[in-house]
Amino acid sequence: MAIIKATKTPARPEPLSETSVLGWLRKNLFSSAFNTVLTVFTIYVIYLTVSGVYVWGYADATFVAETRRECYGNSLTGACWAGVIDWLDNIFYGRYPRDELWRINFGGLLLAFWMAPLWIARAKGKVLVGASVVVFYPFLAGYLFSGGDKGLFMQVMVSGAIVAFVINMANAIVGILKQESIAQFIIKRLGQANKADKKQRNLLIGLVAVGFGAAYLWQSSWTVEFVTWTKWGGLFLTLVISGIGIASALPGGIILALGRRSKLPVLRVLSTGFIEIFRSVPLITVLFMATTMFPLFMREGFVLNNLVLVIIAVVLFNACYMAETVRAGLQAIPKGQAEGAHTIGLGYWGTMGLIIMPQALKHMIPNIVGSFIGLLKDTTLVSIIGLFDILGMLRSISKDVPWLGLHKEPLIFGAILFFIICFAMSKYSRHLEVKLSAGSNH
Amino acid sequence: MSNAQEKGQLASAISSEVMIEVSKMNKWYGSFHVLKDIDLTVHKGERIVVCGPSGSGKSTLIRCINALEEHQEGDIIVDGIKLGKNLKNLDHIRTEVGMVFQNFNLFPHLTILENLTLGPIWVRKMGKAEAIETAMMYLERVKIPEQADKYPGQMSGGQQQRVAIARSLCMSPKIMLFDEPTSALDPEMIKEVLDTMVDLAETGMTMIVVTHEMGFAKTIADEVIFMDEGDIVERNKPEAFFGNPEHERTQKFLSQIL
Repeated sequence: MAIIKATKTPARPEPLSETSVLGWLRKNLFSSAFNTVLTVFTIYVIYLTVSGVYVWGYADATFVAETRRECYGNSLTGACWAGVIDWLDNIFYGRYPRDELWRINFGGLLLAFWMAPLWIARAKGKVLVGASVVVFYPFLAGYLFSGGDKGLFMQVMVSGAIVAFVINMANAIVGILKQESIAQFIIKRLGQANKADKKQRNLLIGLVAVGFGAAYLWQSSWTVEFVTWTKWGGLFLTLVISGIGIASALPGGIILALGRRSKLPVLRVLSTGFIEIFRSVPLITVLFMATTMFPLFMREGFVLNNLVLVIIAVVLFNACYMAETVRAGLQAIPKGQAEGAHTIGLGYWGTMGLIIMPQALKHMIPNIVGSFIGLLKDTTLVSIIGLFDILGMLRSISKDVPWLGLHKEPLIFGAILFFIICFAMSKYSRHLEVKLSAGSNH
Repeated sequence: MSNAQEKGQLASAISSEVMIEVSKMNKWYGSFHVLKDIDLTVHKGERIVVCGPSGSGKSTLIRCINALEEHQEGDIIVDGIKLGKNLKNLDHIRTEVGMVFQNFNLFPHLTILENLTLGPIWVRKMGKAEAIETAMMYLERVKIPEQADKYPGQMSGGQQQRVAIARSLCMSPKIMLFDEPTSALDPEMIKEVLDTMVDLAETGMTMIVVTHEMGFAKTIADEVIFMDEGDIVERNKPEAFFGNPEHERTQKFLSQIL
């Protein structure tokens, strides 16, 4: 055969259109006459919108006023943000007693600190952190928010939560400073590093027990004032409902999805039926059923408060949707993975927990976060059945005498709040996807 | 080809102890009769190569031995344990029988080292340090210890298949099954995998290999089995099998692939 090229062709730098701004503009925005017209028109539309919003929402807007009339006195063409600002506390906390607001803020802060180690690369034992949040935090927060007398169960759970929180914080700090877990750190400090595993474990269990005792004694010395759930409201209530929904929808969905794929017919039929019934009914119907029909079926005197009923309804509804997401994710994993796991002797739970689920969850992240965002927005439906969540609060501004008829501004403010929360969630899910697929390129 | 091949046929180390005993085994996929009255005895240390046209049931046969597929009739006894509905037995058998697949089936979300230590730690309840030591020893043996911290997706097919072999070996199995281990590989990678398998054969491992690599079969096989349409048509020593195949179907198959 003839030789076509005797020498290697050297690489040349890329053409200008790949690097310069002008080149990019020409290639992407002004490549043809039609494209140019489209670009100019789009820029004009954007200009109109942005300038209109700017004038209405900021330049002509009123931020300080006592009543809506005063707003109009100031400017007729601008927004009346004064009403929203006046109601900010209500929007965020509902009718929660103003002296007790610190409890909500403190609860939120606790959660932020508790979860923080999950995002710190050097902190050890992330699974334990996640598990302790799910197991203990709801009880601690539940007591903080509702208050009153602690029953024995609540006393135990609150003490457990305190111990778990302290261990978690210590673990994170030790992790950042020394890159070891708190358990290793304590063992080393006490000079027990060379002792048998069993002895070390017993020592640690002993320490945790002592800590629990101390926490129990301490927490029994104080209580916080009782706040009935009807006073809960605003963004706080929205976050409570959707937070519980988000935290329990995924585990619930996994259980239902596994049930639906089970080899046992009874389990499969039950799961499938449950999923299909909840998925074929609108959430609002489920909410009405829960709050109006459910109490009718119960024995007389058996009263669950509406908030609990609503939360149960939201959890079940979303678990069923999540189950289908999880099922789709499980089906995307090739059969060979399970076979590979079987050949090294892993049983059903080992295969699911170590091989299939971790891979499936990674594929599912966009869909899961999509469901979470949907859940957060769907919780505004509870305002229809009489809970004053954020939407309920925003709409009652227009019924407040000084701000009578003020609809637009509160709803726009609500939209912005939702956008911030949902956009952050979606960005974070994107980040997670990139991070998780960094190592294994497939 | 490989070192061992230059030396010629490997010395065999067959003992009289029976490792696998398949008798009158039948299997159907729906109404399709895949395996018909299979009888097969494999002794400890015996190396058997199974070949045959696609759809002849050879993969299904070894998947039944590993209980990845259920059989409907007949008995399969592996290392003295009868396969059946008993799940405890299944899990036990799977720890004794290693299997290497055509598509490797490594776990893409775990590093190579984690792939290798998963079984020993979770199934054999081995300590982490010991498991890592064992894993590194086997990686050493398949000649890729420097890749321990990579993910499967970052390696070539040949390397992945060697990792898959090492992963099975970490469970210290008594039997190794190979389901067309080189069929999904680029030609230049086949040799490295076959070399690894020849090394393994030299240690006296009981092996059943489904493959079309006839050179490999000649080197390591104590016996070659030819399957066609769910039947074991012929079973013979490699010299006899390749030199003088008895059955007409075997002759036809060999004339097509050699």
